[in-house]
Amino acid sequence: MNCEDYREAIAADPSFDGGAGHMSECSACQAYRKEMLELDRTISRALSLNVPELIVPDLPDIDSSNVVALSKRRMSPPVWLAMAATVVLAAFVGFRMMGTGVEYGSLGEELLAHIDHEPYALRVSDKPVSDARLDRVVPAELARLDHSAGLISYAQTCVVNGRKVPHLVIQGERGPVTILLMPDEMVSGPESITGENIKGVILPVGDGSIAIFGEREEALERIERKVLDSVTWKT
Amino acid sequence: MQSNETAILRRQRFDEYVGVYHQDMYRYAAWLSRDKAIAEDVVQEALLRAWKSLDALREDASAKQWLLTIVRRENARYFERKRLETVDIDNLTASQAALLAVEEDQELDDMRQAIYELDDEYREPLVLQVLMGYSTNEIAEQMDLKQGAVLTRLHRARAKLRDKMAQP
Repeated sequence: MNCEDYREAIAADPSFDGGAGHMSECSACQAYRKEMLELDRTISRALSLNVPELIVPDLPDIDSSNVVALSKRRMSPPVWLAMAATVVLAAFVGFRMMGTGVEYGSLGEELLAHIDHEPYALRVSDKPVSDARLDRVVPAELARLDHSAGLISYAQTCVVNGRKVPHLVIQGERGPVTILLMPDEMVSGPESITGENIKGVILPVGDGSIAIFGEREEALERIERKVLDSVTWKT
Repeated sequence: MQSNETAILRRQRFDEYVGVYHQDMYRYAAWLSRDKAIAEDVVQEALLRAWKSLDALREDASAKQWLLTIVRRENARYFERKRLETVDIDNLTASQAALLAVEEDQELDDMRQAIYELDDEYREPLVLQVLMGYSTNEIAEQMDLKQGAVLTRLHRARAKLRDKMAQP
Protein backbone atom coordinates (compact mmCIF):
# COMPACT_ATOMS: atom_id res chain seq x y z
CA MET A 1 0.00 0.00 0.00
CA ASN A 2 1.39 3.41 -0.95
CA CYS A 3 0.72 6.82 0.63
CA GLU A 4 -2.06 7.71 -1.81
CA ASP A 5 -3.98 4.47 -1.27
CA TYR A 6 -3.55 4.71 2.47
CA ARG A 7 -4.75 8.31 2.66
CA GLU A 8 -7.77 7.60 0.49
CA ALA A 9 -8.72 4.73 2.77
CA ILE A 10 -8.25 6.82 5.90
CA ALA A 11 -10.22 9.75 4.50
CA ALA A 12 -13.09 7.42 3.64
CA ASP A 13 -13.03 5.80 7.05
CA PRO A 14 -10.62 7.02 9.73
CA SER A 15 -11.23 3.78 11.62
CA PHE A 16 -9.60 1.88 8.73
CA ASP A 17 -7.19 -0.52 10.42
CA GLY A 18 -5.46 -2.01 7.39
CA GLY A 19 -2.18 -0.66 6.13
CA ALA A 20 -0.53 -0.88 9.52
CA GLY A 21 2.76 -1.82 7.89
CA HIS A 22 2.77 1.27 5.75
CA MET A 23 1.82 3.57 8.59
CA SER A 24 4.56 2.28 10.87
CA GLU A 25 7.12 3.28 8.24
CA CYS A 26 5.62 6.57 7.03
CA SER A 27 5.59 9.46 9.48
CA ALA A 28 3.70 11.68 7.01
CA CYS A 29 0.83 9.17 6.89
CA GLN A 30 0.89 8.86 10.67
CA ALA A 31 0.41 12.62 10.86
CA TYR A 32 -2.33 12.46 8.21
CA ARG A 33 -4.23 9.80 10.16
CA LYS A 34 -3.98 11.86 13.32
CA GLU A 35 -5.30 14.88 11.46
CA MET A 36 -8.24 12.90 10.05
CA LEU A 37 -9.16 11.55 13.47
CA GLU A 38 -9.10 15.07 14.87
CA LEU A 39 -11.23 16.30 11.94
CA ASP A 40 -13.74 13.52 12.65
CA ARG A 41 -14.03 14.51 16.28
CA THR A 42 -14.94 18.05 15.20
CA ILE A 43 -17.38 16.73 12.58
CA SER A 44 -19.03 14.55 15.21
CA ARG A 45 -19.46 17.48 17.61
CA ALA A 46 -20.81 19.69 14.84
CA LEU A 47 -23.36 17.08 13.75
CA SER A 48 -24.68 16.56 17.29
CA LEU A 49 -27.45 19.14 17.16
CA ASN A 50 -29.61 19.89 20.16
CA VAL A 51 -32.82 17.89 19.86
CA PRO A 52 -36.19 19.44 20.72
CA GLU A 53 -38.52 17.73 23.13
CA LEU A 54 -40.21 14.67 21.68
CA ILE A 55 -43.83 15.14 20.70
CA VAL A 56 -45.46 11.87 19.73
CA PRO A 57 -48.25 12.43 17.18
CA ASP A 58 -51.75 11.12 17.74
CA LEU A 59 -51.47 7.47 16.86
CA PRO A 60 -54.44 5.78 15.22
CA ASP A 61 -55.84 2.58 16.68
CA ILE A 62 -54.41 -0.44 14.96
CA ASP A 63 -56.73 -3.35 14.47
CA SER A 64 -54.89 -6.27 16.05
CA SER A 65 -56.17 -8.50 13.28
CA ASN A 66 -53.80 -6.54 11.02
CA VAL A 67 -50.83 -7.92 12.93
CA VAL A 68 -50.97 -11.11 10.90
CA ALA A 69 -52.26 -11.64 7.37
CA LEU A 70 -55.01 -14.18 7.20
CA SER A 71 -55.77 -16.23 4.15
CA LYS A 72 -58.33 -14.70 1.81
CA ARG A 73 -59.75 -18.14 1.07
CA ARG A 74 -63.30 -18.45 2.35
CA MET A 75 -63.68 -20.83 5.23
CA SER A 76 -66.54 -21.80 7.42
CA PRO A 77 -66.74 -19.56 10.53
CA PRO A 78 -65.64 -22.17 13.12
CA VAL A 79 -62.49 -23.05 11.17
CA TRP A 80 -61.71 -19.37 10.50
CA LEU A 81 -62.16 -18.47 14.16
CA ALA A 82 -60.02 -21.33 15.37
CA MET A 83 -57.21 -20.49 12.94
CA ALA A 84 -57.38 -16.78 13.68
CA ALA A 85 -57.15 -17.46 17.39
CA THR A 86 -54.17 -19.73 16.81
CA VAL A 87 -52.40 -17.18 14.65
CA VAL A 88 -52.99 -14.33 17.10
CA LEU A 89 -51.77 -16.51 19.96
CA ALA A 90 -48.68 -17.50 17.95
CA ALA A 91 -47.98 -13.83 17.19
CA PHE A 92 -48.36 -12.96 20.86
CA VAL A 93 -46.07 -15.77 22.00
CA GLY A 94 -43.67 -14.85 19.20
CA PHE A 95 -43.45 -11.28 20.45
CA ARG A 96 -42.73 -12.48 23.96
CA MET A 97 -39.98 -14.76 22.76
CA MET A 98 -38.41 -12.17 20.47
CA GLY A 99 -37.79 -9.61 23.15
CA THR A 100 -39.37 -6.88 21.12
CA GLY A 101 -40.45 -4.51 23.81
CA VAL A 102 -42.37 -7.04 25.85
CA GLU A 103 -42.06 -7.37 29.58
CA TYR A 104 -39.85 -10.15 30.88
CA GLY A 105 -39.99 -11.85 34.23
CA SER A 106 -36.47 -10.68 35.02
CA LEU A 107 -33.51 -8.84 33.60
CA GLY A 108 -31.77 -12.19 33.17
CA GLU A 109 -34.59 -13.51 30.99
CA GLU A 110 -34.43 -10.42 28.79
CA LEU A 111 -30.66 -10.74 28.41
CA LEU A 112 -30.92 -14.41 27.41
CA ALA A 113 -33.58 -13.53 24.83
CA HIS A 114 -31.46 -10.67 23.54
CA ILE A 115 -28.39 -12.86 23.07
CA ASP A 116 -30.52 -15.50 21.44
CA HIS A 117 -31.66 -13.00 18.83
CA GLU A 118 -28.21 -11.74 17.87
CA PRO A 119 -26.61 -15.07 16.91
CA TYR A 120 -24.36 -13.36 14.34
CA ALA A 121 -22.57 -11.67 17.26
CA LEU A 122 -21.36 -15.02 18.55
CA ARG A 123 -18.73 -15.77 15.94
CA VAL A 124 -15.28 -17.08 16.67
CA SER A 125 -13.00 -14.40 15.28
CA ASP A 126 -9.48 -13.06 15.59
CA LYS A 127 -10.42 -9.73 13.98
CA PRO A 128 -10.95 -6.91 16.47
CA VAL A 129 -13.51 -4.19 15.88
CA SER A 130 -11.92 -0.85 15.06
CA ASP A 131 -11.16 1.68 17.78
CA ALA A 132 -13.52 4.13 16.12
CA ARG A 133 -16.42 1.69 16.26
CA LEU A 134 -15.64 0.86 19.87
CA ASP A 135 -15.56 4.57 20.70
CA ARG A 136 -18.97 4.99 19.11
CA VAL A 137 -20.53 2.05 20.92
CA VAL A 138 -18.85 2.80 24.26
CA PRO A 139 -18.65 6.61 24.25
CA ALA A 140 -16.21 8.28 26.62
CA GLU A 141 -19.03 9.92 28.57
CA LEU A 142 -20.47 6.47 29.36
CA ALA A 143 -17.46 4.40 30.32
CA ARG A 144 -13.77 4.00 29.87
CA LEU A 145 -12.82 0.64 28.47
CA ASP A 146 -9.34 -0.71 28.00
CA HIS A 147 -8.50 -3.79 25.97
CA SER A 148 -7.21 -5.94 28.81
CA ALA A 149 -10.32 -8.15 28.93
CA GLY A 150 -9.55 -9.68 25.54
CA LEU A 151 -9.98 -9.23 21.83
CA ILE A 152 -13.29 -7.47 21.17
CA SER A 153 -14.77 -8.95 18.01
CA TYR A 154 -18.23 -7.36 18.10
CA ALA A 155 -19.57 -4.04 19.32
CA GLN A 156 -23.14 -2.89 18.87
CA THR A 157 -25.47 -0.50 20.65
CA CYS A 158 -28.52 -2.47 21.73
CA VAL A 159 -31.66 -1.89 23.76
CA VAL A 160 -32.14 -3.66 27.06
CA ASN A 161 -34.98 -2.74 29.38
CA GLY A 162 -35.63 0.37 27.28
CA ARG A 163 -32.12 1.71 27.52
CA LYS A 164 -29.23 1.82 25.07
CA VAL A 165 -26.46 -0.47 26.24
CA PRO A 166 -23.13 -1.42 24.65
CA HIS A 167 -23.19 -5.07 23.60
CA LEU A 168 -19.66 -6.43 23.20
CA VAL A 169 -18.28 -9.84 22.39
CA ILE A 170 -14.79 -10.95 23.37
CA GLN A 171 -13.12 -14.22 22.53
CA GLY A 172 -12.95 -16.61 25.49
CA GLU A 173 -11.18 -19.95 25.71
CA ARG A 174 -14.27 -21.96 24.80
CA GLY A 175 -15.84 -19.50 22.39
CA PRO A 176 -17.30 -16.01 22.19
CA VAL A 177 -18.20 -14.30 25.46
CA THR A 178 -20.96 -11.67 25.54
CA ILE A 179 -20.59 -8.56 27.68
CA LEU A 180 -23.39 -6.04 28.21
CA LEU A 181 -22.47 -2.79 29.93
CA MET A 182 -25.50 -1.44 31.78
CA PRO A 183 -24.51 1.72 33.68
CA ASP A 184 -28.13 2.49 34.62
CA GLU A 185 -29.27 -1.02 35.52
CA MET A 186 -28.77 -1.44 39.24
CA VAL A 187 -28.86 -4.95 40.75
CA SER A 188 -28.70 -5.78 44.44
CA GLY A 189 -26.06 -8.47 44.11
CA PRO A 190 -24.47 -10.94 41.69
CA GLU A 191 -27.10 -12.95 39.87
CA SER A 192 -26.29 -16.21 38.08
CA ILE A 193 -28.24 -17.04 34.95
CA THR A 194 -28.40 -20.28 33.03
CA GLY A 195 -29.74 -20.58 29.50
CA GLU A 196 -30.04 -23.58 27.22
CA ASN A 197 -26.42 -23.67 26.20
CA ILE A 198 -24.98 -20.68 27.95
CA LYS A 199 -24.42 -19.47 31.46
CA GLY A 200 -23.83 -16.01 32.75
CA VAL A 201 -23.85 -13.58 35.59
CA ILE A 202 -25.03 -10.03 36.21
CA LEU A 203 -22.56 -8.23 38.43
CA PRO A 204 -23.34 -5.02 40.31
CA VAL A 205 -20.83 -2.31 39.40
CA GLY A 206 -21.31 1.10 41.00
CA ASP A 207 -24.81 2.33 40.19
CA GLY A 208 -25.07 -0.05 37.27
CA SER A 209 -24.21 -3.58 36.31
CA ILE A 210 -22.33 -5.66 33.80
CA ALA A 211 -23.66 -8.92 32.38
CA ILE A 212 -21.25 -11.59 31.14
CA PHE A 213 -22.34 -14.72 29.27
CA GLY A 214 -20.33 -17.57 27.80
CA GLU A 215 -20.44 -21.22 26.86
CA ARG A 216 -21.26 -23.56 29.72
CA GLU A 217 -17.67 -24.85 29.82
CA GLU A 218 -16.16 -21.37 29.80
CA ALA A 219 -14.23 -20.32 32.94
CA LEU A 220 -16.23 -17.13 33.41
CA GLU A 221 -14.76 -16.19 36.81
CA ARG A 222 -11.42 -15.32 35.25
CA ILE A 223 -13.09 -13.30 32.51
CA GLU A 224 -15.30 -11.55 35.07
CA ARG A 225 -12.27 -10.23 36.93
CA LYS A 226 -10.66 -9.01 33.72
CA VAL A 227 -13.84 -7.32 32.54
CA LEU A 228 -14.39 -5.60 35.87
CA ASP A 229 -10.81 -4.34 35.80
CA SER A 230 -11.17 -3.06 32.25
CA VAL A 231 -14.35 -0.99 32.68
CA THR A 232 -14.80 2.29 34.54
CA TRP A 233 -18.16 4.08 34.51
CA LYS A 234 -18.08 7.73 33.60
CA THR A 235 -21.73 8.46 34.35
CA MET B 1 -58.84 -9.58 26.03
CA GLN B 2 -55.94 -11.06 24.13
CA SER B 3 -56.06 -8.41 21.38
CA ASN B 4 -56.18 -5.71 24.06
CA GLU B 5 -53.01 -7.10 25.62
CA THR B 6 -51.39 -7.30 22.19
CA ALA B 7 -52.26 -3.65 21.59
CA ILE B 8 -50.69 -2.63 24.92
CA LEU B 9 -47.52 -4.58 24.16
CA ARG B 10 -47.42 -3.04 20.72
CA ARG B 11 -47.60 0.48 22.16
CA GLN B 12 -44.92 -0.35 24.75
CA ARG B 13 -42.66 -1.60 22.03
CA PHE B 14 -43.21 1.54 19.96
CA ASP B 15 -42.56 3.85 22.93
CA GLU B 16 -39.37 1.98 23.72
CA TYR B 17 -37.96 2.43 20.21
CA VAL B 18 -39.00 6.06 20.02
CA GLY B 19 -37.50 6.81 23.43
CA VAL B 20 -34.19 5.32 22.44
CA TYR B 21 -33.91 6.49 18.82
CA HIS B 22 -35.79 9.77 18.69
CA GLN B 23 -32.61 11.84 18.88
CA ASP B 24 -31.01 9.91 16.03
CA MET B 25 -34.18 10.30 13.94
CA TYR B 26 -34.30 14.04 14.49
CA ARG B 27 -30.62 14.66 13.80
CA TYR B 28 -30.72 12.55 10.65
CA ALA B 29 -33.80 14.42 9.44
CA ALA B 30 -32.24 17.78 10.30
CA TRP B 31 -29.07 17.08 8.34
CA LEU B 32 -31.01 15.65 5.40
CA SER B 33 -33.35 18.63 5.16
CA ARG B 34 -31.00 21.28 6.60
CA ASP B 35 -34.02 22.82 8.27
CA LYS B 36 -35.14 22.37 11.87
CA ALA B 37 -38.84 22.92 11.20
CA ILE B 38 -38.89 20.47 8.30
CA ALA B 39 -36.96 17.95 10.42
CA GLU B 40 -39.65 18.12 13.08
CA ASP B 41 -42.38 17.56 10.47
CA VAL B 42 -40.48 14.69 8.90
CA VAL B 43 -39.99 13.01 12.28
CA GLN B 44 -43.70 13.33 13.04
CA GLU B 45 -44.60 11.70 9.73
CA ALA B 46 -41.96 9.04 10.26
CA LEU B 47 -43.32 8.22 13.73
CA LEU B 48 -46.82 7.78 12.30
CA ARG B 49 -45.56 5.53 9.54
CA ALA B 50 -43.44 3.53 11.98
CA TRP B 51 -46.47 3.04 14.21
CA LYS B 52 -48.56 1.76 11.32
CA SER B 53 -45.93 -0.67 10.08
CA LEU B 54 -44.40 -1.67 13.41
CA ASP B 55 -45.36 -5.31 12.94
CA ALA B 56 -43.02 -5.57 9.96
CA LEU B 57 -40.04 -5.10 12.28
CA ARG B 58 -38.90 -8.45 13.61
CA GLU B 59 -35.57 -7.77 15.32
CA ASP B 60 -34.69 -5.23 17.99
CA ALA B 61 -31.22 -5.04 16.48
CA SER B 62 -32.70 -3.69 13.23
CA ALA B 63 -34.84 -1.00 14.85
CA LYS B 64 -32.45 1.90 14.38
CA GLN B 65 -31.82 1.17 10.71
CA TRP B 66 -35.53 0.61 10.15
CA LEU B 67 -36.47 3.94 11.72
CA LEU B 68 -33.77 5.86 9.87
CA THR B 69 -34.91 4.34 6.59
CA ILE B 70 -38.41 5.59 7.32
CA VAL B 71 -37.02 9.07 8.08
CA ARG B 72 -35.13 9.04 4.80
CA ARG B 73 -38.25 8.13 2.82
CA GLU B 74 -40.41 10.66 4.63
CA ASN B 75 -37.84 13.36 3.95
CA ALA B 76 -37.87 12.48 0.24
CA ARG B 77 -41.68 12.53 0.23
CA TYR B 78 -41.70 15.89 1.96
CA PHE B 79 -39.45 17.45 -0.63
CA GLU B 80 -41.41 15.81 -3.45
CA ARG B 81 -44.66 17.24 -2.12
CA LYS B 82 -43.30 20.70 -1.53
CA ARG B 83 -40.95 20.71 -4.50
CA LEU B 84 -38.58 22.77 -2.43
CA GLU B 85 -35.81 24.57 -4.12
CA THR B 86 -32.16 24.15 -3.30
CA VAL B 87 -31.17 26.02 -0.18
CA ASP B 88 -29.40 29.29 -0.87
CA ILE B 89 -26.82 29.64 1.85
CA ASP B 90 -26.90 33.44 1.68
CA ASN B 91 -30.67 33.65 1.99
CA LEU B 92 -31.75 31.29 4.77
CA THR B 93 -35.16 31.17 6.41
CA ALA B 94 -35.31 31.38 10.20
CA SER B 95 -35.60 27.63 10.69
CA GLN B 96 -32.77 26.95 8.27
CA ALA B 97 -30.59 29.47 10.05
CA ALA B 98 -31.56 27.89 13.39
CA LEU B 99 -29.65 24.79 12.39
CA LEU B 100 -26.56 26.94 12.24
CA ALA B 101 -27.19 28.72 15.52
CA VAL B 102 -23.97 30.31 16.61
CA GLU B 103 -21.88 28.30 19.03
CA GLU B 104 -19.36 29.72 21.42
CA ASP B 105 -16.76 27.52 19.80
CA GLN B 106 -15.71 29.15 16.51
CA GLU B 107 -14.25 25.93 15.14
CA LEU B 108 -17.52 24.11 15.76
CA ASP B 109 -19.42 26.95 14.15
CA ASP B 110 -17.23 26.84 11.05
CA MET B 111 -17.51 23.07 10.80
CA ARG B 112 -21.31 23.13 11.08
CA GLN B 113 -21.43 25.73 8.32
CA ALA B 114 -19.08 23.65 6.16
CA ILE B 115 -21.18 20.51 6.63
CA TYR B 116 -24.32 22.50 5.86
CA GLU B 117 -22.82 23.59 2.55
CA LEU B 118 -21.85 20.07 1.47
CA ASP B 119 -23.93 18.59 -1.31
CA ASP B 120 -26.51 16.04 -0.16
CA GLU B 121 -24.57 13.19 -1.76
CA TYR B 122 -21.59 13.93 0.49
CA ARG B 123 -23.38 15.07 3.62
CA GLU B 124 -25.66 12.08 4.04
CA PRO B 125 -23.04 9.29 4.10
CA LEU B 126 -20.95 11.39 6.45
CA VAL B 127 -23.89 11.77 8.86
CA LEU B 128 -24.59 8.05 8.70
CA GLN B 129 -20.97 7.15 9.36
CA VAL B 130 -19.94 9.70 11.96
CA LEU B 131 -23.19 10.32 13.79
CA MET B 132 -25.05 7.04 13.39
CA GLY B 133 -22.05 4.71 13.55
CA TYR B 134 -22.87 2.94 10.27
CA SER B 135 -20.24 0.90 8.47
CA THR B 136 -19.64 1.68 4.80
CA ASN B 137 -21.55 -1.51 3.95
CA GLU B 138 -24.54 -0.35 5.95
CA ILE B 139 -24.40 3.09 4.33
CA ALA B 140 -24.32 1.46 0.90
CA GLU B 141 -27.41 -0.52 1.78
CA GLN B 142 -29.23 2.49 3.22
CA MET B 143 -28.46 4.72 0.24
CA ASP B 144 -28.75 1.98 -2.37
CA LEU B 145 -25.18 2.51 -3.58
CA LYS B 146 -22.17 0.34 -4.20
CA GLN B 147 -19.66 0.31 -1.36
CA GLY B 148 -17.01 1.81 -3.64
CA ALA B 149 -19.25 4.81 -4.31
CA VAL B 150 -19.77 5.29 -0.59
CA LEU B 151 -16.01 5.24 0.05
CA THR B 152 -15.46 7.81 -2.69
CA ARG B 153 -18.15 10.12 -1.34
CA LEU B 154 -16.82 9.89 2.20
CA HIS B 155 -13.30 10.55 1.02
CA ARG B 156 -14.44 13.60 -0.95
CA ALA B 157 -16.65 14.87 1.87
CA ARG B 158 -13.73 14.90 4.30
CA ALA B 159 -11.44 16.45 1.72
CA LYS B 160 -13.95 19.28 1.19
CA LEU B 161 -14.37 19.85 4.91
CA ARG B 162 -10.64 19.79 5.45
CA ASP B 163 -10.14 22.39 2.71
CA LYS B 164 -12.92 24.60 4.08
CA MET B 165 -11.53 24.46 7.59
CA ALA B 166 -8.07 25.29 6.33
CA GLN B 167 -9.28 28.48 4.67
CA PRO B 168 -8.44 31.63 6.64
